Amino acid sequence: MKFVKQHLAIILPMVAILLGLEFFIVFDRSTKSYEASLANSYAMLVVAKEEMSIDDFRTWDDHVFKVAEIEKSKIINRVGASFQATNAQNINEKMPNFYSIKLDSYLNNKELEEVKKNFLKSDKVTRVETFDTLHQSNYGLFSFIKFSFRTFIVFMTIIGFFLILKQMEVWNYLHAERMKVMDIFGASLFLRSKVLINMAFIDAIISAFLTSAIFYFIQNRWIEGSNIAILQDNIDKLFTFHDLFTLIFASIIIAMVAVFLVVINVKEE
Amino acid sequence: MPNIITAINLSLSYEENEEIISNASFSVKKGDFVFITGPSGSGKSTLLKSFYGNLKPQQGSLTIGGLDMKEIKKAKLQELRTHLGIVFQDYRLINEWTVERNVVLPLWIAGYSKEIQATQAQRLLHHVKLSGKEQKYPLELSGGEQQRVGVARALAKNPFLILADEPTGNLDEFSSNVIWDLLENACQQLDTTVVVVTHKIPTVFNINYRHLRIDEGGRVHEVR
Repeated sequence: MKFVKQHLAIILPMVAILLGLEFFIVFDRSTKSYEASLANSYAMLVVAKEEMSIDDFRTWDDHVFKVAEIEKSKIINRVGASFQATNAQNINEKMPNFYSIKLDSYLNNKELEEVKKNFLKSDKVTRVETFDTLHQSNYGLFSFIKFSFRTFIVFMTIIGFFLILKQMEVWNYLHAERMKVMDIFGASLFLRSKVLINMAFIDAIISAFLTSAIFYFIQNRWIEGSNIAILQDNIDKLFTFHDLFTLIFASIIIAMVAVFLVVINVKEE
Repeated sequence: MPNIITAINLSLSYEENEEIISNASFSVKKGDFVFITGPSGSGKSTLLKSFYGNLKPQQGSLTIGGLDMKEIKKAKLQELRTHLGIVFQDYRLINEWTVERNVVLPLWIAGYSKEIQATQAQRLLHHVKLSGKEQKYPLELSGGEQQRVGVARALAKNPFLILADEPTGNLDEFSSNVIWDLLENACQQLDTTVVVVTHKIPTVFNINYRHLRIDEGGRVHEVR
């Protein structure tokens, strides 16, 4: 029982930190994908006197990702199908050029305004429509969710670190005397901390696998049963095999830093 | 006989301007059995600590086994300690380890094989009359038995110098006599130098010993 308690005392806070880390990785990956889809569905409208190419737009602002010219004939057809052919020809010649512009990322309103200003610096551009009201409401909600979730992750990680600090005090209490005795008999730093290193290493690996198992369960059982579209659409991005190595690496680093801090704080009497 | 310990004008202190041992000069030869006595707080244990490098000389010089303890580097000090046997008043055994594992600690540190460690453990525990207690834990033993484990640990690697800090301070007369016998034997049979800090020299002692006394001013006098 004592043995299990000793291991759980480090595994639980470690899992809390790793959950925080993995949530951060997964959330970042999912939001990037969602941001890409939002950016892809968003387009600015630019009205220009002359014909423009994507390179022209890119010289004014490097956020430009894709430019599509809106065919004038379609606009004329939509505005009035009853125009006579000659009138339609005249209108077509006098009409400015319309472009739908997609951006490389999901920008906020200030950045959109900046892009608009950059375009309007050119004499060739007469009008830019950013549809900022709709964009702002989407962006605001998205930013709020992102901020809330990140705050939760940071909070969880801080609690995990405090629990590890507490465990370091326990380690110091349990292992300091042994390390001092070994030091008196000439043991090297590595030998003195070997017991603690072994224990922390095993616990770090267990924590990483436990966290991976939780995410694997969420990915393969819970999300399938849930009706959350955004999660179901990004199911393959939730937990990857690569994440297991990230978690193992992170947990070993945390455990070894904790062990090192305990060992160097054991002073001779 | 070569000197194992040489102190010349040695001063020791934990804080500046607060000398515990003052201007001490003495030497200990190979095979000597030395008692260091003195009133409480006179610096007996402090002097002993300086012998295993737990406290560096403030002034003067101290040489142990030919090594200058004032300038000694950490790695060299670790190596020196593997050749010392140290016995404490409060035993300082590792309570979560078995008796056998405690006894072979110096051999484990030196990287001896498990077979050698096991053989040596049997021999040492037989020597200190604790055969059959190999798998016990220190807290399952009496104080006298724990101190015998401490002495067995100190003897494990045939040290050239045994340092004992009040080794019988917490023991009854019978257990004390057993410990004195073990230390006498180490000195006589293995030619090991033994330095014992104690407040009282045993009345019955079978070998010729030396006696250094520390007075309240931290000065060391050769009594015998």
